[in-house]
Amino acid sequence: MDDKGCPRCKTTKYRNPSLKLMVNVCGHTLCENCVEMLFVRGSGNCVQCDTPLRKSSFRVQLFEDPTVDKEVEIRKKVLKIYNKRDVDFPSLRDYNDYLEQVEDIVFNLTNNIDVDNTKLRMEQYQRENRDNIQRNKAKLTREQEELEELLLLEQRDNEQRRLDVLQEEQRQLQAKRKNKQALLDELEQSKLPATLLLAQHKVRAAQLETQIEQQKQVVKPTNLFSTGIHMRQTVSLQPVPKIEEVLYHYKPLEIEICGPPVPELEQLGRLGYLNHVRAAMPQDTAGGYTSALACHRAIQDAFSGLFPQRG
Amino acid sequence: MFHNSSQRKYWIFKSEDELEQMRHRANQKFRNKIHESGKAAASASVFLERHEEEVLFRHYERRLMDFCSIFKPAMPKSVVGTAIMYFRRFYLNNSIMEYHPRIIMLTCAYLSCKVDEFNVSSTQFVGNLLQETPAGQERVLEQILEYELLLIQQLNFHLVVHNPYRPMEGLLIDLKTRYPMLENPESLRKSADDFLTQAAITDAGLLFPPSQIALTAILNSSSRAGLSMESYLTECMGLKGDKETLSKMYDSMRRMKTLLKKYELPKSEEVNVYKQKLERIHAEFSSSNKRKRGYEEDGHVAKERRLEEEEWTDEDLI
Repeated sequence: MDDKGCPRCKTTKYRNPSLKLMVNVCGHTLCENCVEMLFVRGSGNCVQCDTPLRKSSFRVQLFEDPTVDKEVEIRKKVLKIYNKRDVDFPSLRDYNDYLEQVEDIVFNLTNNIDVDNTKLRMEQYQRENRDNIQRNKAKLTREQEELEELLLLEQRDNEQRRLDVLQEEQRQLQAKRKNKQALLDELEQSKLPATLLLAQHKVRAAQLETQIEQQKQVVKPTNLFSTGIHMRQTVSLQPVPKIEEVLYHYKPLEIEICGPPVPELEQLGRLGYLNHVRAAMPQDTAGGYTSALACHRAIQDAFSGLFPQRG
Repeated sequence: MFHNSSQRKYWIFKSEDELEQMRHRANQKFRNKIHESGKAAASASVFLERHEEEVLFRHYERRLMDFCSIFKPAMPKSVVGTAIMYFRRFYLNNSIMEYHPRIIMLTCAYLSCKVDEFNVSSTQFVGNLLQETPAGQERVLEQILEYELLLIQQLNFHLVVHNPYRPMEGLLIDLKTRYPMLENPESLRKSADDFLTQAAITDAGLLFPPSQIALTAILNSSSRAGLSMESYLTECMGLKGDKETLSKMYDSMRRMKTLLKKYELPKSEEVNVYKQKLERIHAEFSSSNKRKRGYEEDGHVAKERRLEEEEWTDEDLI
């Protein structure tokens, strides 16, 4: 949408193509110029909702809807505190409840619902789970480091492989050149006829070619997958948590129609019911209609609730 | 199907007395409302008594039937049956003094056309009010649309009505198939149809399942023709050993027949007197007592007040 604009100076993207919209924690937009002007001292209040803001926390609006920006910001903050993971919970159910709770908090903060209470809840949670949060944070950073190390290793391997290939090519090139030089030398010094020498040279060149081909075909066995996991190493996956539930047992549908039993749809023809209804016209059958359907419905309706209720 | 329908759950009542009590309560409710609103002039004689209400109700019900029978294009029976059932259900909990039956009956017919998949456009519908000018028809349509939501709400959104017409067809098919003792089942149809038409303007639909009404219609028709069909019940329906159910069924059939016999046409002189009374009540109270209309309460649509609300009378209808 091109009519997105700064709510203060009313500049739009159309009039000023280089317009940059910024968002702060409250989720209201301002253009870059207005931010510069209003927040010369580094802090001030939001034009729209009067929330005290800092200039440094203004971000370029990434999404069309500024509330999405706000939510992203809030989610980052909340997840810093609520950083438990699925292994911390005894069951999937608990983990899902926990995630639900996190979503609630994010939603509340984003939409300004019950903000004070929600913040109180967050603080309380933080106090209660301080150790846990710290531990998880450490774990997270550790994992992050491991991952980076792995990436570095892979990069180095790739570089090495590239160099190897390059060297190999160089060597082959040199071998060919040496071969040619040898031919020239022999033609110069040898007493043998030139044709013989040429033939000899051809044989040698062919040998060289096949040698190179063979070398190329021998692929160096790698012992790493691209993910950095060693080959032939059994990967210990987390055992999949089993969900114990009662198996579904099919029970045929029983309908209490409070009347005499209705014959099945398929049996209507055999029992002779269909002799007493109007046959379906060819144009009716296009939609899947058969006279049995109408007949069955009429009989169902006729029998349903026919007997008075007991008691 | 009927056995798990809202009709069986909420709109089948135990006895005639229960229905009468409900209608009495509706009458009382309207009186109390007027008293509470502080109308000093409202003495008890102004209001319609229950039996007077009943006469007027029957009168308007007949008008509804007449309107439907001359409707063009011809209305299927089930649409008429549904409309009448709506009309009866509506005035179980509401007094005719509160909502004028003239407009409610049209709204019932209009709604039942929609629910029963009888496709007429709204202008086509009001085009059946032959005595009205096009402008008048427009006005009536506006009123119908105004009351439609109220009606749906008062029906508690239970819009599907099971009529006894299809069950009767089913029973006839079953008779032809399983009961060869009866030589010509089609001969029963005429008088069974009449029975169902009669039953539609009684409380039968509020007391008995539609299949029972249909069976009663057929048995009644056969007994008139001098045929006994008891063996159909005992043999084909499998009621041979079940004396209790059988006697109960005969009992409810008897009740249904007395219900039909009791029905009497409203006398025109009575109707005229009560109608004047009704018009007075509506003229006096409805302007002060703002009628509650389904959507106005919610503040969704604020339609302009109708200026000439009571301009057309029901003589214009047909």
